[in-house]
Amino acid sequence: MILIVNTTSDISITGEIKQLAAKSGIKPEVIETAEMNISHCIGCNYCWLKTPGECSIKDDYEMILKKIIHADQLWVISNTALGFLDHKGKNIFDRILPIATMYLKFVKDQMRHVPRYEQRTDIGIIYRGEIDREYLQRWSERAALNFESRSLGVFGTDSIKEAVSCMC
Amino acid sequence: MHVLIINGSPRVKQHSNTDKILESFTQGIKENGSTYEQYEISDKKQWEDIRKAYYSNSNILIALPLYVECVPGLLMEFLETLSPKGDGTRIAYILQSGFAEGIQLRCGEAYLEKLTGYLGCEYAGTLVKGDNFSIRFFEGEMRDRVTGPYKEMGREYAANAGFNTDKCKAFTGYEILPLHLRIMLRIIQRTVARTMFAKVARSWGCTRPLGYRPYQ
Repeated sequence: MILIVNTTSDISITGEIKQLAAKSGIKPEVIETAEMNISHCIGCNYCWLKTPGECSIKDDYEMILKKIIHADQLWVISNTALGFLDHKGKNIFDRILPIATMYLKFVKDQMRHVPRYEQRTDIGIIYRGEIDREYLQRWSERAALNFESRSLGVFGTDSIKEAVSCMC
Repeated sequence: MHVLIINGSPRVKQHSNTDKILESFTQGIKENGSTYEQYEISDKKQWEDIRKAYYSNSNILIALPLYVECVPGLLMEFLETLSPKGDGTRIAYILQSGFAEGIQLRCGEAYLEKLTGYLGCEYAGTLVKGDNFSIRFFEGEMRDRVTGPYKEMGREYAANAGFNTDKCKAFTGYEILPLHLRIMLRIIQRTVARTMFAKVARSWGCTRPLGYRPYQ
């Protein structure tokens, strides 16, 4: 399943994706978060040590989390700020902690958290606005380590066709 | 020198590892007569005051935990409300994390340098160090062992108005843990660490195994 989380209020982006994806016979699941209530991560560690796998913040992210653990791909559409994803885009990634456990292991020569589920979700980013693309690429590859998966790449809203070609 | 210190952790001050690090760090700052004022990003009621302080101070230190390889969302939300200064203001950073190795923080560190440019300020370096996860679980001497070394870094910062010294760079410790430590830690992670985590979890009222899968 391909999951698309649009944190911008521009639904023309997801409209274009759906249209292009349909041509390849792909029907991604799209979540528009503009009207949703999604908090930042408060770093309470409850999802690791008090209510394993469950976030202490009961808001609209819970529904997204439940879908991520079944998704082959997660695409986050985000506005940009200060050369990076804006806070709404970043919050989608920060709130991912419940899919990891408290337990640690080494992956190659670096420490990582042991994943909670079997599913591996690759991540892709579609950004809207000015950004340091080279840095975002580097960041997305590091961020994918937290999913024990790979980065599908980072694409501007002028390259949606290229992004959709990676959805399979 | 007077320093504006912003604790960029989204966690409430009482449980903030970054705050405990700053407690030690600021002791070092005070020693040579430097002064500071400190604010917490986790308390949105302070945001207006932090903004005012950002515009009126020329030495700023932002201390933050690494959240998914970069700046925590809440700190990002605050930073988005600032305008670039362009007046030679210097910003330095303390970047800390749970993971122990320096390499884990480099992507976040790279962003902080870029961020400083976007804010129209001068980059005064980042103090990079991991292995801080346990701070909130420790008290007294045990905690001092982890946070104590930051006091010396406070002295360094006050003397150099930044972290661009060899001493600060060496503070990171191992970039990648050497093989013998990795082997030892692998054993600890599968044994003692699991027992310790289970103990903490029980004391927090956890009734499920830590690997529990609520959504499957």
